[in-house]
Amino acid sequence: MSTATEVVTRRSAESTGRAPRRPVARRRLVSAAFVAPLVVFLLVFFAYPLGLGIAMSLQDFDVAALVRGFGDFVGLANYVDVLKSPVTQAAVVRTVIFTVLSVVFSVGIGLAIALYFNRRFPLSRFLRALILLPWLLPTIASGTLFKIMFADDGLVNKVLATLGIIQQPVPWLTDPTAAMAALILVNIWAGISFPAVAFYTGLQDIPRDLYNAAAVDGAGRWRVFRSITFPLLRPVTMIVLVYGIIYTLKVFDIVYVMTGGGPADGTQLLSTWAYTESFTNYSFGGGAAVSNILLAFSLVAASFYIWLQRRSARV
Amino acid sequence: MSETRETRRAASLPRQLAWTAGAVLIIAALVFPVYWMAVLAFDDSRSILADTPVFWPRQPSLDNFTHAWDLVAGNILISTIVALSVTVITLVIAVPASYYLAQFRFRWTAVIMLGLLVAQMIPGIALGLSFYTMFAQAHLLNSYVGLILADTTYGIPFAVVLLRAFMESVPADTLAAARIDGSGEWRVFIRIAVPLATPGIITAALFAFLFAWGDFLFAVTLNGTGAVQPVTVGLYKFVGTYGSDWGGIMASVVLAIIPASVFLILAQRWLTVGVRTGGMTG
Repeated sequence: MSTATEVVTRRSAESTGRAPRRPVARRRLVSAAFVAPLVVFLLVFFAYPLGLGIAMSLQDFDVAALVRGFGDFVGLANYVDVLKSPVTQAAVVRTVIFTVLSVVFSVGIGLAIALYFNRRFPLSRFLRALILLPWLLPTIASGTLFKIMFADDGLVNKVLATLGIIQQPVPWLTDPTAAMAALILVNIWAGISFPAVAFYTGLQDIPRDLYNAAAVDGAGRWRVFRSITFPLLRPVTMIVLVYGIIYTLKVFDIVYVMTGGGPADGTQLLSTWAYTESFTNYSFGGGAAVSNILLAFSLVAASFYIWLQRRSARV
Repeated sequence: MSETRETRRAASLPRQLAWTAGAVLIIAALVFPVYWMAVLAFDDSRSILADTPVFWPRQPSLDNFTHAWDLVAGNILISTIVALSVTVITLVIAVPASYYLAQFRFRWTAVIMLGLLVAQMIPGIALGLSFYTMFAQAHLLNSYVGLILADTTYGIPFAVVLLRAFMESVPADTLAAARIDGSGEWRVFIRIAVPLATPGIITAALFAFLFAWGDFLFAVTLNGTGAVQPVTVGLYKFVGTYGSDWGGIMASVVLAIIPASVFLILAQRWLTVGVRTGGMTG
């Protein structure tokens, strides 16, 4: 958001922030010690595991291979196998639906909340802070909490029955379609905080003068939103959407605790399916292949995110 | 002119209170699940089984907490050890690195920043499966060290990106002046950069702690035999074993969200900084 100031400080740091006369080699060595642990960490805990994930996906990586540390090279056989599996195919479709619906609704609701809070009233600071709550809770805690709310004799069914909306309890966690709906609802809830805060910040950054000028011109509320708020929020909106996609693709805990991917793999997402392939079916090669397919989705979204940021930084 | 503008913008008090009432409703709807969790946790379990929904504790009691504490106290201790260790390691690596990336000319800065951004976007399962293989070789499965190392992957990329923004605002002239006075690089870093970046360091520490505390994926992946089970896994097992003891489950959930709740009450300011920066920097 403060791109301009960042650029300025960086430039001044580059021009004046160099260490004074001392043997160049020694100075380099001392200062490299600041960053060396990070570089080692990134190589060992990110670069190497990603490489290993690709290697495992190209091997017949079973439990014996796990003990040895390597398996027989099988080329793309794992990918062919998992892509032929109906569970994987369904998991791809489900992951896409889960992500799109979660992101659309949590971003939409987050925007509505931000617009509401974009004015001064008593207690607004305190109430705004509470928006963070769903985001701060460990996802396993939220998942557990909602698992109980969505139980057959849980609160959701009780309320719906009391209101006369349903006659029979909805099998929220045991019917695949109902379970997907429940999972998406929970994920929307867990995902509202970030867009709400991001949009709120974006709204605060819009110069007040623009609104004053519009008021002088006699523009109505809707007109102001369409001509000022919406266009100026567009960069934030794009970033929030793509960030939401990336964040939702990672979701694992909520599904794992609420349905475990079941019943009969009926709610498997790519993330939980990769886990099941590895630790229930003991096919670590297949699991790695599934997780690399998921990773490919994430990396496409990540590239788009980076492209968006570069573009908004240039403007 | 500016005065008329102000008067036009400031709403009347009744109007403002109406906005407050609306906001209370919105937030109440949002946090209702958490409220309801507390109702179940503080209620005697029997009233939960009534056919009509219960929205407040009818028979307030702490029995659920006694049961929950017996089952998850050990897990909470483990979570505390793991999360504190992760926080320390995260700061030890991230604070100096962010200072360097912000204030020194370094050929690889752009590459590292890009790497840190992408690192935050990698699905945990992709790392978890590889960690399982790596740690099986290194005999780090079911160990504190293994889980702590895995959990630092949540905090470090986030912390470096966040802290670099703070380190960039440290005036280069001040650093240069200290160097001319003869201070060594580490002294300049500790005496000048670290104090100026303290708000960022607090935010980074809070998030590193919360990320590690909330981790379930690595804990369940890397601790198959259950030697090091943090509270998230304890909670999962509780649900599996005593699925119908809703009061006890909710009491454990309350125990599991204590750090998040405490931070939200006591350190709100820093958390907001983190949410904003976490998603928006690169």
